[in-house]
Amino acid sequence: MTAYVVQRLLLMLVTLFAIITLTFFLMHAVPGGPFTSEKMLQPEIQAALNAKYHLDDPLWLQYLNYLRGVLSLDLGPSFKYAGMSVNEIIAEGLPVTMKTGALALLCVVALGVPLGIVAALNRNRWPDTLVMVIATIGVAVPSYVIATVALYVFALRLGWVPTFGLDDWRGYFLPVFALSGFWISFIARLARSSLLETLQQDYMMTAKAKGLKRGTVLFKHGLRNSLIPVVTVLGPVVANLLTGSFVIEQIFALPGIGRHFVLSITNRDYTAIMGITIFYAAVLMVMIFIVDMLYLVLDPRIKYRADAK
Amino acid sequence: MTTSHMSPPLLSVSNLSTSFFTSRGEVKAVRGVSFELNAGEILGIVGESGSGKSITCMSLMGLLRSSGRVIEGSARFEGRDLITLDEDELSELRGNDISMIFQDPMTSLNPTLTVGEQVIETILRHRKVSRAEARARAIELFELVRIPSAAKRLKSYPHEFSGGMRQRVMIAIALACDPKLLIADEPTTALDVTIQRQILALLKELQGRLGMAVILITHDLGVIAETADRVLVMYGGMVMEEGPVRELFARPSHPYTRGLLASIPDLRDDTHHRLTPIPGSPPDMLRPPKGCPFAPRCPHAMAQCNAALPPLYHAGEGRRARCWLHHPEAPRVAGITAELVPA
Amino acid sequence: MTDIEIAPEMWAPTTRNGAAAEYIAAPSLTFWQDVRKRLWANKPAMLGLGFIILLVLAAIFGPMLSRHTYFEQNLKLSNVPPLFQTYEVTDSTGATTRFFFNSGNLNLYEVTPSGEVAGLLRATKKDLIKKQQQFKFGDKQVVLDTAKQQLSFADGTALAPSGWQWNMSNVLGTDQLGRDVLARQLYGARISLTVAFVATLVNFFIGVFYGGLAGYLGGKADTIMMRIVEVISTIPLTLYVILIMVVFNSGFLSVVLAIGSVYWVDMARIVRGQILTLKQQDYVAAARTMGASTPRILVRHLLPNSVGPILVTLTMLIPSAIFIESFMSFIGLGVTPPEASWGTLTSEAVETLRAYPYQLFFPAAAISLTMFAFNFLGDGLRDALDPRLRT
Ligand SMILES: Nc1ncnc2c1ncn2[C@@H]1O[C@H](COP(=O)(O)OP(=O)(O)OP(=O)(O)O)[C@@H](O)[C@H]1O
Ligand code: SF4
Ligand SMILES: [Mg+2]
Repeated sequence: MTAYVVQRLLLMLVTLFAIITLTFFLMHAVPGGPFTSEKMLQPEIQAALNAKYHLDDPLWLQYLNYLRGVLSLDLGPSFKYAGMSVNEIIAEGLPVTMKTGALALLCVVALGVPLGIVAALNRNRWPDTLVMVIATIGVAVPSYVIATVALYVFALRLGWVPTFGLDDWRGYFLPVFALSGFWISFIARLARSSLLETLQQDYMMTAKAKGLKRGTVLFKHGLRNSLIPVVTVLGPVVANLLTGSFVIEQIFALPGIGRHFVLSITNRDYTAIMGITIFYAAVLMVMIFIVDMLYLVLDPRIKYRADAK
Repeated sequence: MTTSHMSPPLLSVSNLSTSFFTSRGEVKAVRGVSFELNAGEILGIVGESGSGKSITCMSLMGLLRSSGRVIEGSARFEGRDLITLDEDELSELRGNDISMIFQDPMTSLNPTLTVGEQVIETILRHRKVSRAEARARAIELFELVRIPSAAKRLKSYPHEFSGGMRQRVMIAIALACDPKLLIADEPTTALDVTIQRQILALLKELQGRLGMAVILITHDLGVIAETADRVLVMYGGMVMEEGPVRELFARPSHPYTRGLLASIPDLRDDTHHRLTPIPGSPPDMLRPPKGCPFAPRCPHAMAQCNAALPPLYHAGEGRRARCWLHHPEAPRVAGITAELVPA
Repeated sequence: MTDIEIAPEMWAPTTRNGAAAEYIAAPSLTFWQDVRKRLWANKPAMLGLGFIILLVLAAIFGPMLSRHTYFEQNLKLSNVPPLFQTYEVTDSTGATTRFFFNSGNLNLYEVTPSGEVAGLLRATKKDLIKKQQQFKFGDKQVVLDTAKQQLSFADGTALAPSGWQWNMSNVLGTDQLGRDVLARQLYGARISLTVAFVATLVNFFIGVFYGGLAGYLGGKADTIMMRIVEVISTIPLTLYVILIMVVFNSGFLSVVLAIGSVYWVDMARIVRGQILTLKQQDYVAAARTMGASTPRILVRHLLPNSVGPILVTLTMLIPSAIFIESFMSFIGLGVTPPEASWGTLTSEAVETLRAYPYQLFFPAAAISLTMFAFNFLGDGLRDALDPRLRT
């Protein structure tokens, strides 16, 4: 058990370290990037960067400096906005991204899993066909297409929801729908096939042969085991909800981190790009760690395997 | 068996037919199987893979997969017809009066629940006892099937057990509510040879001690010879031959049984008792032949065999055989009919 | 039972027919025949394959056959729809002018009898306060009320449309710079598909090389290499595609490079797994003792065994690559204008969504249908290769 937790924790830290390193050196490779002492647009920013990272130092020292900054949760000054820090940029967008992201994640779990179960239990009957048709559309049509079509139909034509912003609670509908559409479909398909596979397992036959009630067989023996694969993809789901928010926040003009990220890309705000990337990665690593722990609770075999190593 | 004339049998299956309705058509897995089983008796069922052994038992338990349906016949268990019971009534019986053990102990236990929980939930389902009482009963059962340090092992997960130990857990689950009938579907096939012997010895011992009836399905004629009282030989979804184990092995009345036995040099031999294949392959159950299903592979096949399905002939005391050779006008074949049916 | 009457000749022995006994067993197909049969029987997969073939042909030959180029602009004819309602005005000399009204930019365009868009009609007078424009057709005058979007004669009678006309100069209309949408679609298909195929190929080679090396070396090297794979697979890869694009600047090659260098871990895992199982198998040891060289072993044994899973992974990678490319283009990191991909086309269409919503239709439909096609084909392949997995 502890072996597994330590192993996961180590993997998380190593990955985070790899991400910071990779990001730093990639950004250093950019001509005119933040870690070269070439002429920059604003002397103010140049001075701030110099004070923080000592741009005349050798590269490895700058790297250590940056690393120290990140470890003390300081992502440095913005490369484009004088007087603005990357931390401030993130803090500004965080509430919006968190709210939409959390709602989307909730929809993914609360809609995807039940839809998959309904489909599996009605295999080859109309509820199954319906869910599968919708889910197939959901995984094939890109989120930005769903978003723009939904924007046009529900906001521009029908006027049911605002076209942008989150001032009105109805403003959440479309972004959350567009953000989670793919993953609801994906999880529904996964939950369906996983439950169907579980229903075929010998131990399900044993459970029935013991005379257990149908509900017990299904929920205690079937569902729990079939949810294991679903839980394992929740980490990547969070990752993709985050990256998905880039376009969604752009389309619906939401002032979230994703929008800031895309803006920093267009503005070539290199320190912001770096900082937001690292922030995303950190959030993800934590989510993946949580999912790994959840996995541990659900599947006792994991603990055994890790300890046996 | 003399008792069979006195008290009504525990289980009496008659003319049971089960089909699977698949996209390719109707698979006739079981075709008109009949047999009786008395309390405390061990009935062995042998036959090649796909002959319908498991499906026969699954039909009794109401455990057919959704595409499968019993289309005909009855199975009276203590006066009630299992086939007509609804799911609720059946689930009251399952694990309680009738229990089942499966072939592969590696997959028949739920990997994410402790073995203790899997025993306890069975007891709690059928008995009005507290959790603590159920737990005490589970420990008792683990001791009964000789799982060492029973109380401690209740908290283990299946993957922490070896195959033999898992099968002991399965047996403990099956015996949890003192069943009157235990169906063991190839309980040792997936185990090592030494473990096989231990498990069989345990089963036989427990059967003697608890006095339940057992249906033992196996490919292993040696197991049948050592364990069973009576044998049912199945082929192509039908009963080919039935009889007391000694007589049937000594003098098979059916060419198929003879084929099975011929492949084994000596039943008391320690080498493999598995069926060596008879040349050819079993019939396609989507389109079963209209005559004897064994005809394409039978060394004694006659024109009549392809023309019509042979009936089950009486073939001596307590014995039946489905073969045209038992027709009084049929040619005599030494070893099968000559001594049994006087001309 | 003994009273069944049976004709004596029925007791004649039949010769046991070995061939017949064998015939009863289902005819056995080789693995690949079986796969092909199952794939053929899978209608969505076959539809997907058909669509992909058509698409590839259109992407290769379409731009050659098109009479417009993807970059040629005609600002006078911008945002022309593919289908419009025409009006006809006949003056007293009998000369008829056919034209249509583009409600998006409030312009009138003249249409030839064959359905070509001839050009913009100039207003003779614009009254900005009353929001009216006047057009002269010979001696007839037509007033366009831009607020009500209505056309009427000078005397006030409304002009009735004369019918629908498909745009014969630009079959799918033009975009905001007056470029032919069909030509851009075809060119976009070419770019999107090329990016996807090349990037997938790059991933394939990296994955096979890396996984092959890890499996082949085994031991410590394998452990370390697989730990690296584990780290890479936890990294949010889309972010890295974006970072690489930032470093190398937008453009076709950078997209290919960025996508191609990032999504190879699945492939590496599969190949390594196959090599490891192969190494344990007796026939490989046998082949080795018989003097077969490593490449020979790999080609003879590894390939046939891993082709299935690799094929499925590749078929699934192509749509993801298409998606990532369009995603990049959508946030402004993909190919650079005037080049076009489905992503840039979609994002251009979004800019004009309010006035010309139909412009979104073609790029969105193209990419969605392509995703469908590859998904169906991939699912079909997986089912065909492993029928047990079919659900
Ligand atoms: N779910 C199913 N769908 C279609 N046919 C089935 C299904 N399950 C079993 N069958 C068919 O029923 C027949 C009998 O199967 P059964 O499992 O009873 O054989 P068996 O005698 O137990 O064989 P084995 O020794 O391999 O366990 C087989 O021909 C099989 O093809
Ligand atoms: S009926 Fe005919 S074919 Fe069938 S077993 Fe008897 S002799 Fe052989
Ligand atoms: Mg069986």
